[in-house]
Amino acid sequence: MTLNVLVITDQREGHLKPSSLEAISEARSVVERSGGGSVTIGLIGSGLAEAQKEAKSQGVQRVLLADHESFKGFSAAAYAFAAERMAAKLSAPLAIFLPDTAMGRELAPRLGAKLGAGTATAVVEIQPGASGGLQIKRKVFGGKATETVNLLGTVVLSLRPNSFAIHPAPAGDPPVEPVEVGELPASAKGLAVERVISTRGDTPELTEAPIVVSGGRGLKTAENFVLVENLAKELGAAVGSSRAVVDAGWRPASYQVGQTGKIIAPQLYIACGISGAIQHLVGITNSRCIVAINKDPAAPIFKVADYGVAGDALTILPALTSLVARNKGA
Amino acid sequence: MDILVCVKQVPDPETKLRVAPSGKSFDTDGVKFTINNTYDEAMVEEALRMKEEFGFTALRVISVGPPRAEEALRSALAMGADEAVLVETPADLPLDPLLVARYIAAAAKDIPHDLVMVGRQAQDDEAGVVGSALGEYLDLPSYSFVTDLAPVPANHLLKMKRYVEGGEEVFSAPFPAVLSILKGAKDPRTPTLPNILKARKKPLKKIPAKDLEAKVSALQGGAKPTSDILAFTLPPPRAGAKMIEFQTPEEAAERLIKLLKEEARVL
Ligand SMILES: Cc1cc2nc3c(=O)[nH]c(=O)nc-3n(C[C@H](O)[C@H](O)[C@H](O)COP(=O)(O)OP(=O)(O)OC[C@H]3O[C@@H](n4cnc5c(N)ncnc54)[C@H](O)[C@@H]3O)c2cc1C
Ligand SMILES: Nc1ncnc2c1ncn2[C@@H]1O[C@H](COP(=O)(O)O)[C@@H](O)[C@H]1O
Repeated sequence: MTLNVLVITDQREGHLKPSSLEAISEARSVVERSGGGSVTIGLIGSGLAEAQKEAKSQGVQRVLLADHESFKGFSAAAYAFAAERMAAKLSAPLAIFLPDTAMGRELAPRLGAKLGAGTATAVVEIQPGASGGLQIKRKVFGGKATETVNLLGTVVLSLRPNSFAIHPAPAGDPPVEPVEVGELPASAKGLAVERVISTRGDTPELTEAPIVVSGGRGLKTAENFVLVENLAKELGAAVGSSRAVVDAGWRPASYQVGQTGKIIAPQLYIACGISGAIQHLVGITNSRCIVAINKDPAAPIFKVADYGVAGDALTILPALTSLVARNKGA
Repeated sequence: MDILVCVKQVPDPETKLRVAPSGKSFDTDGVKFTINNTYDEAMVEEALRMKEEFGFTALRVISVGPPRAEEALRSALAMGADEAVLVETPADLPLDPLLVARYIAAAAKDIPHDLVMVGRQAQDDEAGVVGSALGEYLDLPSYSFVTDLAPVPANHLLKMKRYVEGGEEVFSAPFPAVLSILKGAKDPRTPTLPNILKARKKPLKKIPAKDLEAKVSALQGGAKPTSDILAFTLPPPRAGAKMIEFQTPEEAAERLIKLLKEEARVL
């Protein structure tokens, strides 16, 4: 069975996000494992000159482009409309991959509904099905169980960031084909983005970073939170926090990990001075490796952690930071 | 101006999961069910705020599920919803989140809705699919990961903030629409006993799923699920953390980094 995969990418400031590159790399791999076919990148947005160049170097067969003012702000209805036009340019059997970012998570189901497709989100593993279609794995119940799902017909998947490797792209020079999208439906009009509040500066984004260091109320003061940020900086990690830190006003809400914050699945999560309340744990249980640093050996966080340090985060964090810095120097 | 909120009944998060004999789902035997409290309660609270602060009039709540899902609807009624609809599904009806969205869309044709609200995701399947799929089936816009919601009813506009990687987007967009709420302005209220009693008398309409089948069939994807669960597996239970022994912070750091490099291989 051959397979044609369309990857609808997510861009940040005109560049393909790492999670988009993961989806493209996995698309190449799935096509290879399916015994052939093609990978097409679908770019939807406004001002995509750079993204086009990046897409061309991804070892794919085609690049489809919907670069238009009306796609400036993300509207799931508008993007799904454009993605459907792109899908129509490819022949069956067809699968559409998206990164499981905020954009991908909203777009995938809408596109799945439009196409009557077998749809799955936050996918962590993909295999060609024995009799066509794709078989995927995804985590459910807060990481407590795994589902293996068979998807039928056209397939739409969002791929969880950090779950797929980026393999080097073979050389190629795919054509870039503009797609005539035409008049948008009423449901796709009228969304106006006023402004974007950047909360991260130049630190990596929580939901996409392979390593996250988080701090909780156990750090005692806003000033001490810098100890978490220093370690994160040395590790090239993103910085997160418990809700207690946000409630205390030490850091803005964008740092919060958990039920009412971000749900993340990094390779490594380091929780410092965080007790491990259930609302925090639902945000982190899919992490590959969890480290907890907590003064209280009975803290619930140690039940879900892989490695525990029962001690004072205020002294252990600086020791970790200088060790990581020294190792880098060596 | 009417609000329709969608709630799901899910196993209590404290439940110990066991695999069903089929190997394809969890064993419901002896499982306690609850409203999808981590996410749907926050959403219902936000819907109540829309009614209390922004002049929306009726708040109806809908669930697609077996007869026991009535309990989740009663919880929402006890929080303050006015009426409920249960799309009653037989135990052997295969469903996936997209098909659930088609059933809600089919039922919603007869339920007034200026705002349709869903939770961020169901605590069991964690799909986050129903909301934007519902947007497609109802031919409405959808806005997800909303953290801040202020309707301007006179202009049929919503002023919102939503989460995007790296920050937040402040935007406005028209309604009727489907919204998925990441975070409400307030923590969900706990129903008082008088309200729990009152909720028992509020109207709850039951619609057998088969009565909607014709309408569901007319939607893209039809009356059958497009995904099929082949296996439901539990990882071996977490053993609890390997505790690092140390005398000084430096020693703790040395041992931890060594383990992360050599054993866990994450550095
Ligand atoms: C509806 C709702 C939604 C919520 N959503 C979220 C959410 O999304 N995310 C979230 O995180 N929480 C959430 N919460 C809050 C959650 O229940 C906890 O209150 C919160 O996670 C606690 O944060 P904490 O672990 O930092 O603080 P605490 O629970 O106060 O824990 C501090 C920990 O630090 C340890 N400690 C103290 N001193 C030191 C030291 N010197 N070195 C090392 N360790 C030390 C203590 O032993 C303790 O375990 C929510 C709550 C509700 C009701
Ligand atoms: N069976 C259902 N009945 C009513 N609403 C549902 C149902 N399943 C999911 N929802 C709604 O859709 C949201 C997302 O669910 P899901 O797409 O399954 O993760 C939930 O938080 C509910 O608001």
